[in-house]
Order: sequence, then C-alpha cells, then structure tokens
Amino acid sequence: MWLSLGIIFSLGILIPGKLSFKVRYDRDQVLHIVPETLPQVQHLQLLYSTLKLDLWKPLLPEDIRAGKDLHIRVPAPVVQDVKDSLDQHMISYRVLIPDVQKLVDQSMPRERSSHRQVSGGYDYTEYHPMEEIYQWMTQIQENNSELVTQHILGKTFENRPMYYLQISQPSNKTKKIIWMDCGIHAREWISPAFCQWFVKEILQNFKTDSKISRFLQNLDLYVLPVLNIDGYIYSWEKDRLWRKNRSPYENGTCYGTDLNRNFNSSWGSVGVSFDCSSDVYCGPAPESEPETKAVAEFIKSKKSDILCYLTIHSYGQLILTPYGSTTKPPSNNEELMQVAKEAAAALTGKYGTSYRVGSTATILYSNSGSSRDWAHTIGIPLTYTFELRDTGTHGFELPPNQIQPTCEETMLAVTTIIDYVDKKYFPNGAVLLTSSSLGLSLCMSIVLIWTVS
Amino acid sequence: AMELPPSHFPAARAAAVAMGYLRYLRGGPGRGLQLRELRSARRQDIDDVGHKYYLELELEDVLDKDRTVNCTAEVLYPLGSQSSAPDVQLTVQGELRSTEEADKEFYTRIRSLEKELVAENIPDSHGNIPPELEPIHLLAWAASGYVIWQNSTENTKFHLAQVKHVKQVKRSDEDLQFDYVVLLHEMVSQEVLPWQVTLLWHPQRGARVSQCQGPAPGD
Repeated sequence: MWLSLGIIFSLGILIPGKLSFKVRYDRDQVLHIVPETLPQVQHLQLLYSTLKLDLWKPLLPEDIRAGKDLHIRVPAPVVQDVKDSLDQHMISYRVLIPDVQKLVDQSMPRERSSHRQVSGGYDYTEYHPMEEIYQWMTQIQENNSELVTQHILGKTFENRPMYYLQISQPSNKTKKIIWMDCGIHAREWISPAFCQWFVKEILQNFKTDSKISRFLQNLDLYVLPVLNIDGYIYSWEKDRLWRKNRSPYENGTCYGTDLNRNFNSSWGSVGVSFDCSSDVYCGPAPESEPETKAVAEFIKSKKSDILCYLTIHSYGQLILTPYGSTTKPPSNNEELMQVAKEAAAALTGKYGTSYRVGSTATILYSNSGSSRDWAHTIGIPLTYTFELRDTGTHGFELPPNQIQPTCEETMLAVTTIIDYVDKKYFPNGAVLLTSSSLGLSLCMSIVLIWTVS
Repeated sequence: AMELPPSHFPAARAAAVAMGYLRYLRGGPGRGLQLRELRSARRQDIDDVGHKYYLELELEDVLDKDRTVNCTAEVLYPLGSQSSAPDVQLTVQGELRSTEEADKEFYTRIRSLEKELVAENIPDSHGNIPPELEPIHLLAWAASGYVIWQNSTENTKFHLAQVKHVKQVKRSDEDLQFDYVVLLHEMVSQEVLPWQVTLLWHPQRGARVSQCQGPAPGD
C-alpha cells in the first residue's frame, strides 16, 4: 500500500500541471540499489545526471549515500544500458518494479466504462493473444446461449481448432446467412479485434437497436474471429510482421502459404509467387492449406443460404469489390459499388476517416486466389474485402487507442451492408409474425399511441 | 497528360514516392508529414524518357493535425532501367510549422547523453511508442523516406512498418548520427524487408543519408 502511494506521489510530482494521462511508463523499471563505496555513489550520481533518471529515494542526488537504500526509475529504452553499467562497476541491484505502467494501471481508478469498452471483464480496446480469444469465444457462448453457438470448422496445420460463432435468433423461419472472417493474415491484428468487437456490439444491442433486431429476424451471422490461427500466434511469439500460415515446405526450410492467394479463383494466375519464401506464395495447389480447405468446404456446403461474404484485413482504409485477377467488372458491379459507397459514407460520418472504394484490381493491385473473389465466383452475390485503418502511418501496428474508433466506424459500414441485404431479400411484407412478435408489436403500438397522445 | 483517378493505385503509388522524398527533405525530430488526401493526379508518357505523374497533395503534420498544407509534386519514373531513382520535384504551398525549438531541445538532449542512445522495435508489437522516442521515430521516417524515394517503381508502394533497431553514433563534428535498421513493407509483393540506413541530422542542416544498404539476396 505504501509502495502504491509512493508511486502515485512520485509520479504526481513528476507530471507538471494537471495530471496528464498521456505520459506512460511502459516497461520502465525501478531498481533498488545499496551503494557500498563512495566511487559507487559517484557513479550513480553520474548515471542519474547523464541519463536524466528519476530518483524516487532519496529525492535529491546529493543525498545518495553509501549504505543507504536507493530507488531509481529507469526508462525502458535505457534499462539494459543502466544494468550493464551497474554490472561493470560491480554495483548490485534488484528489480523492485519490472513494469511501472502496469502498476500505475492497477493503482489508478478505473476509467468510466463509457471510455473503455470492458464488457464482462474482457477489454475490447486491447489486442488479445489466441489463448484469450479461445476463452472469449467460450465465454460469449456461455453468456449468450440463447443466441450464440460455437462450431468447429476444421483444424489448422499445427492442429489447432478453427471455431466460428453463429449468432442466430431462435425462430421457426429459415434464415439466410451473413459470413464474416477476420485474421486471414497474421500481422493484421486490428482485424480479429474488429470481429470480437462486432460480436460484442450485436449481443449488447440486439434488443434495443431496431436495425439489428430487424435483420436478426431474417439473417444469421457467422463470425470467424481468427482464420489463420497458427500465423496469428506466430506473430505474437516470434515475428510480429508474419503474414502467411505456418505450413512447412522444402523440408522445413521455408514456411507459409498466403491463404488469401490459396483459394480456387483464377488460382496461380497473377499477383502471386511460386517461391515458398515469398509473402504471396499461393501454395502448391488451390485449397492446399487446411485453413483454406476448412473455410471453403463450409462455405460451399452453405452457399445457397449465404447472401454476403465479408473478409476483414488491414491496412489501407479500403472497401474492395471483385475482382483482383481482372479489371473486367462482375455482373452485379453497380450494386456492389453502390452499397460499398453507402457503407464508406456511413463509416466516414463517424470520425471523418476516409475510405476508398473499388475493385481490388483498380484500387490496389492484381491478385488471384483471394477468398473474396472465390466467394463471388461460386455465387455469393455481395462480397467485400475491408482494409481497416490506417493508411501507412502505423500500418500493421495500429496503436490500441485506435481500436475503439476503428471498430466503431467499421461497425457502421458493416451494418449498412447487412441492412441492405436484409431489406433487399426480406422486404417488409415477408417477415413472418410469430405469436410472440405479434404480441410484442401490439404492445409496442399501444405504448406508442399512449406516448404520442 | 491524362487525368487519373486519385483513388486508383497508379496515382497512389506515385504519391507515396513524393511523400518519401518530402519526408527526407523536410522531416526532422519535430516534424512528421503525412498525406491527408491525394486531390488530383495526371500522367504523361514521355517518349524515351519515362512516365511523369503530376500530383496535388494535401498534407498534415502528425504533430499538428488541425491544419493542412497543400503541395504539388512531379514524379518521373525513368524508363526501363531498374537502378535509377524516380526524379521528384516538389512545391509546398505556404509555411510548414516551425520546429526550431523542438529541434534545439532534441539536439541538446542527445548531445548531452553520456551513453549513446540505443532502442528497438518502434513502435512495439502493440503499436505503442514511448514519448521520448517519438523524435527518433520521426527521424526514421526521414531515413526511410530516402530509401522509399530511391527504390520505388510504378510497381511498388513502400511504407515504413517498424524501426527494428536504432543506435546513435557519437561524432567529432556537429552532426548527430543514427544507424537505423528499418523494416519497409512493400504493398505489391507484401514483403517486409530490412534496410540499414545511416542518417545524419543537424538542426540547421537537416537530415542526410550517408549510407544505405538493402536486404541481402535471399533475405
């Protein structure tokens, strides 16, 4: 308790003026040192002044004494250098606090929940490793069992289960399907973050949001939060900028197929490499990868019911329509473009973020074997690739303080598309009234008349 | 010269080259220029010379997002040869925010370090950058701006993905020297490749690349 108070006090006097939450102490360490000799004291005073270290105890460098406790905060970038220097001078030390920011976060009062989206103990404004995403899926199903079921699609190369969540409002109607997958490319962390956000938003608001409750009457939402699980884990543990899956080739000297070049749509024709070391290696054959196969088999099996296929990537701020392998437009190009433009406009309305809209081949580059093109060629009418924030300033490493605004604006775009699908395929007359919904609408009408009068 | 849709990739790629060049020319520890919007683009094919793009750019400084500055650029990709850098001409309309104070403060701070500055992974995996490393990050934009300008073609689009490593090297003259390893993401091939760049910087003289080495074959 005294340590926490001491921290708040020390940081408080450090931060000039009013308390600013912009200063951070990530991975800064506080070292406990007891200098034994005068030369050691002098060396510590020198370190303090040249590196502008932060004395917690004593407060002034001239009060550093042999035999007296010294607590000093070392900024993360120079931690190793300071430790090396202490070793060099035979000054022993102990790490009192391994990460000051973590302690600050724990000690500070929780921000009001309208600022941070911590729902049911899960922080949607942070990036989560795969372990936590698996746990999250289980929790979501448990806490929302009337609406959500978890299903297995298949297994990854490294034998991990690929789960998707099905959000389906109980009803005797047969519904049509909206499919959304995230994380086909490992390094695009904002993508799985969006899938998780999307699920949370739907579950939080389906009773109160009229748009959502309307489309859930007719549509089931199938969400695959992480498609390329092996790659995602690899990007957390080994190489943050990894893109592909983790299939080994050439006797384990070469890893990974670009899953978004591995689908059976003009496979291997353009915008790919046949070299397994390339980041756009399309694999030895279409659907050669277990992850691709799992998704493709499932979508094929449900294809007559899937009205819309969405796949989420980063970065670029784009809504992309078919195709990548040719500039020849798809048969329903006008509709695809119209809806995409509406979605982009809804997105921009939130924070002013501008998105470009168009086919992959005209906006971005030529490619073949993409999941979105394949989904369209097998007959799914509305297929889009989203490239989320930003446009290159942070690229794949979008800071966590942008997770919430990115997800909020993207939510508007996605719901615009789902809304369109709903209104197109289920125009008002086609909604089947069950006795409960009839009763509800009667009650609502009465309440409405009562309020209006 | 024919009008190009600014949202399509040929104009977008030329704009990225112009931005690389601009960051090299005008970037510093207190200034990070980025593209707010590409307003218009035209292309002219010049026989025996190459393809020339005329661009109107709207820029903003990451440290001063409330205002924008306009800029016109001409990017000429030379014909054929793979080894020749695009030629870029730029005109910034109006004044960029002065960074004299911040530059001086940074210069003094780094000069007074007893141990040379070393840092890695900027931003970190989660996208965070400690505030005291922001100027180092912006200088990396200048360094990588040079690499992007020098190595771009009509078939590439580069962005700085991450500063893998940076080490300050003390000099006997008045320049600051930073040896960077920067990771550049190339959009068309999707490769992320390391470049070693030595950047010199001085408050009055600005940034200069003194050495630059690309990835070894097979990297």
